[in-house]
Amino acid sequence: MQNNFIKNTLEIVWITLVLLTLFAFLLGYLNYISPLVVSVLLVSTFIKGQLVIDYFMGLKDVKLRYRLIPTVWLLTVISLISVAYYLPA
Amino acid sequence: MTKQNAIKAPYPPGDFAIWIIIYVELLTFALLFVGYAFSRRADVELFNASQLLLDKTSGCVNTLILITSSYFVVKAVQSIKTITKETLKEANQKASKWLLSAMVLGLAFLVIKILEFSHIFGAGITLSTNTFFMFYLLLTMFHFMHVLLGIIILWNIYQKTKTVGYTSDDHSGIETGASYWHLVDLLWIVLFPLIYIIR
Repeated sequence: MQNNFIKNTLEIVWITLVLLTLFAFLLGYLNYISPLVVSVLLVSTFIKGQLVIDYFMGLKDVKLRYRLIPTVWLLTVISLISVAYYLPA
Repeated sequence: MTKQNAIKAPYPPGDFAIWIIIYVELLTFALLFVGYAFSRRADVELFNASQLLLDKTSGCVNTLILITSSYFVVKAVQSIKTITKETLKEANQKASKWLLSAMVLGLAFLVIKILEFSHIFGAGITLSTNTFFMFYLLLTMFHFMHVLLGIIILWNIYQKTKTVGYTSDDHSGIETGASYWHLVDLLWIVLFPLIYIIR
């Protein structure tokens, strides 16, 4: 059973990425964008990026320092985008 | 922690040189993403109005395309990594099919992007129209070049699988190409909500 789960992990990751993309698209398409929704979108972008880093790039099974480089990159980029979005004019 | 580290691979998959390239690319795109986000602050109305001219549907379809092609590339790498002497030919054939599917999706991404560009240029929009379109064209065209290069890399890996070139001892090449392709996916995952959705 555990083997099946491991075997299906990639498929679960792919489905999660697809669902989060459709979620972001629907919010944009319906123009349902508020400051709170932007936070949700940025968090969902971080989750998507981290899934790609961990499972597609395969850095989950590599020494932490190599996994941290793209993770820190992603976190920094998304944090700076948040600062630019939320910082008062 | 020591026990956990012991089972972790010492280096990222593929040739280490590709990771140097990946880190440089991440840094370059980070500057453009952050540059876009802070430039937007100077004229939020202009950015929001210009963003309405973009086709969100094609942006979404392209995201789904890249995510799926990245998944196909992982499946190709998996086929090669689980190779044995007995399954050498079969595994290479399987990998070549996954790679071909990934390349077809990569080409579909390029076609959709070309259609989007022709629509934008047809409307008389250029790099100098305004700051939003300068960033939009710069980011998406730069990314377009990366997808194109990624397809060329995948094509070379595909050729090697066709000649049963990968073995259990020699699969660094496919991992190197795959890592680059996932970079292209990762960059688009940030680009799509930033340029097309967030306003």
